[in-house]
Amino acid sequence: MPIRHASGVYWRALAAHVRSVIEYPADLWIMATAGAVWNVLQFAFLAVLFANVPHIEGWGFHEMLMLSGLLSIAGGANALCFDGAWNTGSMVIKGDIDYRITRPAPVILQVGSSHIGLQSFGELALGFAMLVYGWIGAGVGMAWIPVGALAIVCAALIQTALVTAFCAVNFWIKSPMSIFAFLLIQLQGGAMKLPLGVFPAAVRVVALFIVPVAFINVVPVAVFTGHMTAWWLVGVPLAAVAAVALAAGVYRLGLRAYDSAGH
Amino acid sequence: MANLDVALATISFKRKIAYKSTWFFSVLFGEWSLLAGLAVWNHLIGDGEIGGYDWDAMKAYLIIGFLTGTLAWAGSDWEMAGRILDGMVAIDLTKPVDFQRARAAEYIGGMTASIPSAILGTAAAALLFRPAGPVSPLAAALTAFSLLFIFPLAFGISYLATLACFLTQRFLGIQWAKDSMVAFFSGMMIPVALMPVWLQGVAWALPFVHFTTTPASIYLGRVDTAGALGLIAAEAAWAVGLWVIGRLIWRRLVKKVTVHGG
Repeated sequence: MPIRHASGVYWRALAAHVRSVIEYPADLWIMATAGAVWNVLQFAFLAVLFANVPHIEGWGFHEMLMLSGLLSIAGGANALCFDGAWNTGSMVIKGDIDYRITRPAPVILQVGSSHIGLQSFGELALGFAMLVYGWIGAGVGMAWIPVGALAIVCAALIQTALVTAFCAVNFWIKSPMSIFAFLLIQLQGGAMKLPLGVFPAAVRVVALFIVPVAFINVVPVAVFTGHMTAWWLVGVPLAAVAAVALAAGVYRLGLRAYDSAGH
Repeated sequence: MANLDVALATISFKRKIAYKSTWFFSVLFGEWSLLAGLAVWNHLIGDGEIGGYDWDAMKAYLIIGFLTGTLAWAGSDWEMAGRILDGMVAIDLTKPVDFQRARAAEYIGGMTASIPSAILGTAAAALLFRPAGPVSPLAAALTAFSLLFIFPLAFGISYLATLACFLTQRFLGIQWAKDSMVAFFSGMMIPVALMPVWLQGVAWALPFVHFTTTPASIYLGRVDTAGALGLIAAEAAWAVGLWVIGRLIWRRLVKKVTVHGG
């Protein structure tokens, strides 16, 4: 299927949601505020923590802010551009995937563009604020900005692809709630906002090489702040490609296993 | 009417234990959070102490947080929100059952399904990590009593969060905001004692603090018996207060329901 056609379908579907967002302004404000709330609390957590300890594993307040900021940006980009993936579970149970299969566009794009997570506006705004504040405070040079931009794009891709792949598990486990994707986000929130050195080696291996969540925020920030050598940056686009391939593969397998509702 | 409450709670309980994979992974997540918390705080405290918590006290604090978190996050938030989002609430309005009371029965029934895993997980963590014991048998009893209020408090907070679905198309973002508020202001994320004084004031003025800080403070003897009883009274007051606030907000928001085709 031509990429241009598929991309046209994707953007038209998202544009339709933007029109519906404008119709329901209360929804937008409530969700954007919700997205901002958990980022403000994340900032508060770091501020309180660093009022009591000078550093964690050699990482300071501003460096840790960069970790949280980049993770929020990745999550916000996922919610803005591909939030519909969370609908996979309910679509499988209700047989709604049927419609998508009959349409001349990739199913994964149709499902991904079926919703916009409005909390993304709050997440992105606060995420960028934390990243920029941390960047300046940590004294990261301007020369890193192009690499930073690439890291943001890759972070968004890895986050979106991993969440989509984990949502696709619902093709097999048949539950309206995407428990695996939900747990992934929760685990990231718990562990990937801290330096990897705090955790046992097994956790580091999993986060770097099994489910490469560390390449979303920990690796780029560690390189920018001198905690890891620049060679690690090679892994960031590689992880993005691997994650996208994984998501496409799992979704394809899921569609093969899909047997509609009522069977 | 009490029979109806029990029936709804039983259905919700059975629904929860029917999805074994969801249940299993929820428990796994709770254990992971506990291990992550232990790794971080062990690193930070070392042989010293932070905010009056030495390593043994912090282990007890984190295990109490695991216990309350397992209970608090096992309710039926999604089912409640789903009734509003998919319009089922319009059918509920025709039933001779109070919406809030029915949802409370279902919610607490769902939470009950997590009790065995919460107790087993807590016992395993206690055996494995050897945390500080309760400061006295009375403190242990009062801690257990204070934990009972987690049930109505968790429902009250979740119910208020789900009522936002009258104005939104999704619950996901609302739930994350609610979970963050509970995690931060309860002290699960970072003990309230480490916060600046003004933020401690804010935390103690909110209901979330009773999810972790209250039972942990009673258990570790950071408050005396009178203080413990005062905290338990505050929990009871919040349970009632959240119920009343939920009812008032429901009255306003239910007017948003539009039944098409009638």
